[in-house]
Parts: sequence; structure tokens; C-alpha cells
Amino acid sequence: MTKITVNGREIDADPKKPLIAACHENGIDVPMYCYHPGLRPVGSCRICQVEVKQGDAPARVVASCRTPVAEGMVVNTDSPKAHDVRRECLEFLLKNHPLDCPICDKAGECDLQDYSFAEGQTKGRTHEPRRKLEKRKSLGDVIVLDEERCILCSRCVRFFEDVTKKPQLTVADLGSRSVISTFLDKPLKGNYQGNIADICPVGALTLTRFRFQARVWNLSKHLSTCAECSRGCSVTAEVLRGGDTKRFRPRFNPKVNQWWMCDTGRFAFSHVNAADRAVALRRTAEGLEACDLDAALSAAANTLRGKSNVAVVLSPFSTNEEAAAAKALAARLGAKTCFVSPAPNALKDDFLHTGDPCPNRRGLTDLGFAGLAAADVAGALAGAGAVVLAGERVVELLGAERVAALTGTRAVLFDTHCVDAPALDACIGVPVHVEKDGHWTNVEGRAGRLTIARSAPRGVRALDLNLKRLSELVSPAGAKA
Amino acid sequence: MKSFERYLLERTKLANSHTLAVYRANGGYKALEKVLKKPLTPAEIIAEMKASNLRGRGGAGFPCGMKWSFMPDPAKDPRPRYLAVNADESEPGTCKDRVLMEKDPHGLIEGCLIAAYAMRLQAVYIYVRGEYRKSYDTLLAAIAEARKAGLVGKNVMGTEFSCDVWMHKGAGAYICGEETGLMESLEGKRGHPRPKPPFPAGFGLWGKPTTVNNVETIFNVPFIVERGGAWFSSIGTQNSKGNFLCGISGHVEKPGVYELPFGVTAREIVDEVAGGIWKGRKCKAWFPGGSSCALLRGEDLDVVLDHDSLKAKGSSLGTAAMIVMDDTTSMARVMEIIARFYDHESCGQCSQCREGTQWLAQIFHRIATGHGKPDDVATLESLAKGMAPGKTICALADAAAIPTLSAVRIFKTELEECIRQAKDPLAPPRVEYAGAH
Repeated sequence: MTKITVNGREIDADPKKPLIAACHENGIDVPMYCYHPGLRPVGSCRICQVEVKQGDAPARVVASCRTPVAEGMVVNTDSPKAHDVRRECLEFLLKNHPLDCPICDKAGECDLQDYSFAEGQTKGRTHEPRRKLEKRKSLGDVIVLDEERCILCSRCVRFFEDVTKKPQLTVADLGSRSVISTFLDKPLKGNYQGNIADICPVGALTLTRFRFQARVWNLSKHLSTCAECSRGCSVTAEVLRGGDTKRFRPRFNPKVNQWWMCDTGRFAFSHVNAADRAVALRRTAEGLEACDLDAALSAAANTLRGKSNVAVVLSPFSTNEEAAAAKALAARLGAKTCFVSPAPNALKDDFLHTGDPCPNRRGLTDLGFAGLAAADVAGALAGAGAVVLAGERVVELLGAERVAALTGTRAVLFDTHCVDAPALDACIGVPVHVEKDGHWTNVEGRAGRLTIARSAPRGVRALDLNLKRLSELVSPAGAKA
Repeated sequence: MKSFERYLLERTKLANSHTLAVYRANGGYKALEKVLKKPLTPAEIIAEMKASNLRGRGGAGFPCGMKWSFMPDPAKDPRPRYLAVNADESEPGTCKDRVLMEKDPHGLIEGCLIAAYAMRLQAVYIYVRGEYRKSYDTLLAAIAEARKAGLVGKNVMGTEFSCDVWMHKGAGAYICGEETGLMESLEGKRGHPRPKPPFPAGFGLWGKPTTVNNVETIFNVPFIVERGGAWFSSIGTQNSKGNFLCGISGHVEKPGVYELPFGVTAREIVDEVAGGIWKGRKCKAWFPGGSSCALLRGEDLDVVLDHDSLKAKGSSLGTAAMIVMDDTTSMARVMEIIARFYDHESCGQCSQCREGTQWLAQIFHRIATGHGKPDDVATLESLAKGMAPGKTICALADAAAIPTLSAVRIFKTELEECIRQAKDPLAPPRVEYAGAH
């Protein structure tokens, strides 16, 4: 480690990283646009300039993203000279910026806005007309480019060069005529396009699916884990006023996904935002009817009580906590256990996506659950005395028609949506993964945490609590089935 | 003006000076022969270069021998290494390298070979400006001729020394004349200058040790090797040695490229070499070395044209391309044209340069067309100070800011008068430029 002094504080800096990283890692804010810790630094935006004094040489103002740390370096991020240089830089950056913050999706989380507020000047001096460029240029299905807002930091260009290693963007033309462009105006390809909207420091790159959907200050951000594959990328689930999840965004995790995630996971909210959620139903003479949770659980207990050859089938989206509760229930019932293992999909790539759509395969396997293909599960259920299907999307993955076709057995379902199946005696709602606490274990054995980003529909309780309650009801504590 | 010995342009006056036969008949490749057959060691050549005190002729005036000595020792650093010759001469006013390449290409090739030997490298790239088609073709033909004669390629002159010389044609961007922009362009990328450090001597072309020299600098090398560093440093003033090529343009009777020793004054050049200011007028302003130097007043013509004297005057020698303007010249219009050039040629990486050059161009355009605002002159000054010095990756922002600051300092009254009258009293007839903002 190299010892440097920043704003009068002595800090240990990693000699392999530029000065700006040392400042950030020690809680000292230095503005940045072109610099991104996950990309090769180019030192072009010049907003990260700080004052540096080395040895006896007079203090210089340098771009901290391109300055290596050196033993004994004395850095001042707060000097009048450094502030002046950054203020000037902001004035240049804002010269052609359209200042359409009121209609910009990035407003509220825009670095240009933030640093202008912190360090910029309150008056513009330009009498010139602002650059008129394309305001909504489609770069494919995922990204829309607003050329006027772009400050040409080239993060998006370098994302494809450095991270996916398949260059797709470039800065076209020169100087003040520069614009971001794909090669030959072809649409962007690949499953990682959304990341460039995340790393865009201004509102130039926006997601087609998030444009004009929400003001970002109305979104509450919650730690979560992506459900789309066994990589288990760390994400934030961003919920609009306690209602719909409006976006998933990658959350920095050095061991799993760093700063990135795939578009499949980013846009996977059709399920979490689905309407008409099941709460509690039980079979009556008229068929399945809504009831309160206790009544539904009693009905479920009645179905299971005294049955032999019970099968407990989990959804691959079950958390470790839910699986442990299911395992305890299975032990009381003397039941077989398994989980529905969806087939690998074609999304596997050499970056993040594993192609295994089961986010908790490792966790469920470690707890002793065997993964079976939907058809095999259905086969195993045929001769069962009773069946417990538990976890979000279990019916969908098993195939609603297979559940509907169950005969010679009785079933209890814990899922977000009910299914019209003659074998079903009770259906109890479960929270989706943004509505519960718990953990998934990813393909490398790392735990990914889920937190409650939004409350579950009224009357829906956590699956593990319901499974514990069901265990109690089937055979009260102390008694063995 | 005292008489002096000419050497740089002597051969260019001969018929067919671009051919190997004429070059050889006039002492060509003698210096290379001396280096290879004697043989001189690379260290001896670099010592001779240092003794000569030759300073780079590309604008910055960095001592050439010192630059060469930055190249790492091949015993410790076995990576391949390169020499890139900067022939991307595109600064407004500068046209000296073109004469050498078109009229005396073998002089450049011989210089390249000696430089390659001294820096122990096997490949030289000559990066020629795209518009210089004749320079490119002539050099290409000369290299082919030299290769045929065993002077370029494997075992030069039958010795162990091998060196190839390759040509590369730019696509017309001024920024590719910046040494790191030139290297990016040579690598086949956009000519975006790289931040320094790392410096080219450690991390240059394809990440290998590289030296970038100007054409005229390299052209001086055979003369220094043949006649000695002491001879070279006997010419000129204290810190500016040798003869230099002065490309004089603008309002003079005889514009052109002239060979001169350091030590002559600008007035001597204008009056005695270039035939005086045209139409018997007076000099109002002049650039000593291309459009990126600070403007000087007509009264300043008595300054000696060398590095130190011009620095003392607040300007610089640059490429010694004098642009002379007579007393009918509108400075608003001059600065409009110059600012537009830098706006057009900024690579667009750094915020200050990309936006600043455009902003300067817009303000000068408004002033020159009678739409100036009272705060414009103050804004120009503060913008130029915000762009430079050393606030950006390369010196293009400085190159735009320096003439602006000098114009605002020297010709403030004239600019303010344009704004006050809402027209430029000295305005020449306008021919609108299609690319104007």
C-alpha cells in the first residue's frame, strides 16, 4: 500500500488504482463522468481534477482518474484552485446541454445535475444557441439515445470494448460535432445493453422500458438478488410508491456481478408485477372458494393428515429458509422431496448468464432437494398419497395442465396464483421474491440476499411461516406422524 | 542580414533532387555509411546529437538528443521499438516539411535510418498528412528506390543493421499531428490523444517504446552526424542551434519556405527575405510560428526569431511558420478563422476543448459579423483561461487559448470597437464558409 495524504488525512492507497479510486475508497468524494471503476480510465471529461503536490514541485491540478498514486503525495480535493477548474469544466459541459431536466428520466440521479448543484455556477454566460441534435435516436430495442444530453464521456463505448469485449458503439465525428453512434447505425445487440443506461452519467441513454415510467425520487430502492439465473446477480429492486417494481438495477458485488447485469434479469418484472394474486382458497362443495388464511391452512392440514407417500415439491425460486421449512414439514409427513428444475435456456453466455433459470439450485441441492424436470415430477406425483406444491411460480414451471390433470391424489398449493385443478384442496398465496426476506445460494455457493421491497398483498404471509404452521397443524409439536 | 551557410535546402534546388542518383551524387548516404562502416556506436551518435543541441522542429522545441536517450536500453527491455516521423504538418501557416519530403525525400530516409541505428530499432513509420499526396508518393518512391539499393530493409549497406521504413497516410485530421494522437491513428484507431503518462518512450506505438520526431528534426540528423555536433551548435543563438526552415506567409511580397540560421530578427526575414509587407503597407500583427503561438504586434518584429527571445516576448517559436498581417487586417476576422479551425479540429475528448473551441469560434464569429455583446471580450478571456494551460489531455486546447488570450490582450480595443459599432469596420468582403456554425 502507498501512503498518501488527502485533504489532510493520511490514507493507504492501492498503488494499482488511480488516485480517484483511493479518494472514493476513503469516503472522499471526487466528481466523475468518464471515470468508472469498472472501465479503463481515459481522463477525458476533466471533472475529477484535484490539486496534487509531490515533493518540492509546486502544486498542480491533475485529472485524478489518470494520476497514479505515489508515496508521500499530498492531495487537496477542496482547494480553491481545484474547485475553480471543476467549475469551469462544468460550465463547458453545460454549454450545449439542453437542461431539459424536468422531462429527463435521469433527473434526480444525474451526475451532471448533482455536481452542477454542488460545484457549478448559478449563471450561464452563453449567448449561443445550443446544439440541436437527435433527441430520441433508437439504438435497438433496449436503448434510446438523446444526443443533446450526451456529454461524450464514452463510458458506453468503453463498456462494450472493455466489459463485453464486443465493441458496438463509437464516438462519430470530431470535436463539438461528436455524437455517440453504433457502427453503421446498426441496432445494438446482446443481452447486456441495459448497463450502458446505468453507467450513463446523464440522461442520454435511457431504457425504452423505463422511459417516462417514474420519477426516480419516487422509487424506493431495496437490496435484492436477480431471479433469472443461477448467477444470482446482486440487484436493487426499485418500487414505485409501494406498488409496481419499475426496474431492477445491478448492485455492485465484486464477487458476483461487479457493476453489471443482463437485460433478461433487468426487465424480469412481468411476474413480480402480476395482478390477481391468490391469497387463501379452500375447496368447498362449490369448488375453490376464498377464505381466510387459517381456514385454508386447516383445509391443507386435513388433506395431508394421516396420508402416506406424500410428496413435497418446491419451486426453484424457493429461498433457503423456505426450503428448510419445507424440509421440516416433509420430515413430519415422512414425505419425499424434490424441486422443479427448469431446463437450461439458450441465454448462457461467457459473461454473467449461466443459462440455468433456477436461482437457488445450489441452495436447494445443498438442503437435500433433488431437481427434477417438470415431466419427471408429474410422473412421481401420479402415485402419491398427497402432494404439497410450494413456492412462487411452481404451477407455471410444472405446467398448469399437469397440475390440472393430477388424479388419484389430493394436492395443497402455495403459489402466487391459483389453478383450476380438481385435485386441489387448498391454495395459499405466497410472496414473490421482492416481497420476502431470505437467501438464495448462487452457482458458486455465495448467498444472495432478498429483502422486502414491497409488502405482499393483504393476507399473504411468508411461505416459510405458513409451512411451519402447516407442520404444526398436521402433527402438533412432540407427536410424530 | 549576415551571410550564412545553407545546408537544409541546398539539394532541393537541383533537378531531380528526389532521386537516389542525384542524392548520392551530392553526398547522400555518406553519413549513414560513416555510421555503419566506421562504425559509430549508438551511444556516440546520441552524444553527438546532445552536443549539437538540436531542438525539435515540430513546435515544442524539445532537445532531440535527450528525447532519443529516453528510449530504454534494449538489453533491459527487449520489446520491439519504433520511430514515428511526424509528417502530419497541418498547423495553419506551416508548410516546411512538405518541401523536404517532395524535394529531398532521401535526406529524410537517411535521417530515419541513422535515428533507427542510434535508438536500436528496426522499424520507422512516416506518418504523412492525407492532403500531402505528392509528399506521400515521392517518399514512397524514394523508399522503394532505397530498398532496391540495399539501403532500407535487411542488412543495410551489407552490414548487420536492418531497418525498414513504412509509410502511413493520415486522413486529414490536425489532431493526428499530436504525438499520441498520431500513434493511435497509426494503430488504426481514431486519432484521440492519449493521456501522459505513460510517455511514448515507455508505452508508445502498440504499447512499445516509441520516439516521435518531426520531419525537419530528422532531416538535420545526417548533417550533424557527418559534420559533428560542435559544427551544428556553432550556428545560432544560445539555446537555439542550427539553421531552421521558416515558412513565411500572409501579407508579404514573397511568401515561401526559407532556410535561415537562428539569430536573425523577424524584421530581417520580412524585409530582406520575404520582400517586405505587400503593397507598401505596415505590419499590424504576426504569428511567429503557426496559429497556435501568441500573436505579436507589428512593433515586435525586431525580436530575434529563436526560442528564448520569443518566449521573453510572451510567444513561442512553434514551427517557425510566420504569418504576417498588414494594417488593413481585421483581427476579429483573423481570430474567427483561427478559432473556427480549432473548433473543427478538436478531437472532442476533453470537455474544455470540445465545448470551449466551439464557444470561442461562436463568439469570434458574432463579433466579426457585428453581433458582439458587451461581455464578449471578458468571456473570451475567461474561457481561454478555463481551457488552458495543461487542463486537458493534449495541447490543442492550449493552442486555441493562446492566440485568443494574445488577441484579447493586444487587440482588445479593436474587438470592443467591433462590438460597440455592431459591425467590423475593417471587415473584408465575406465569403461564407459552408461549415460555419
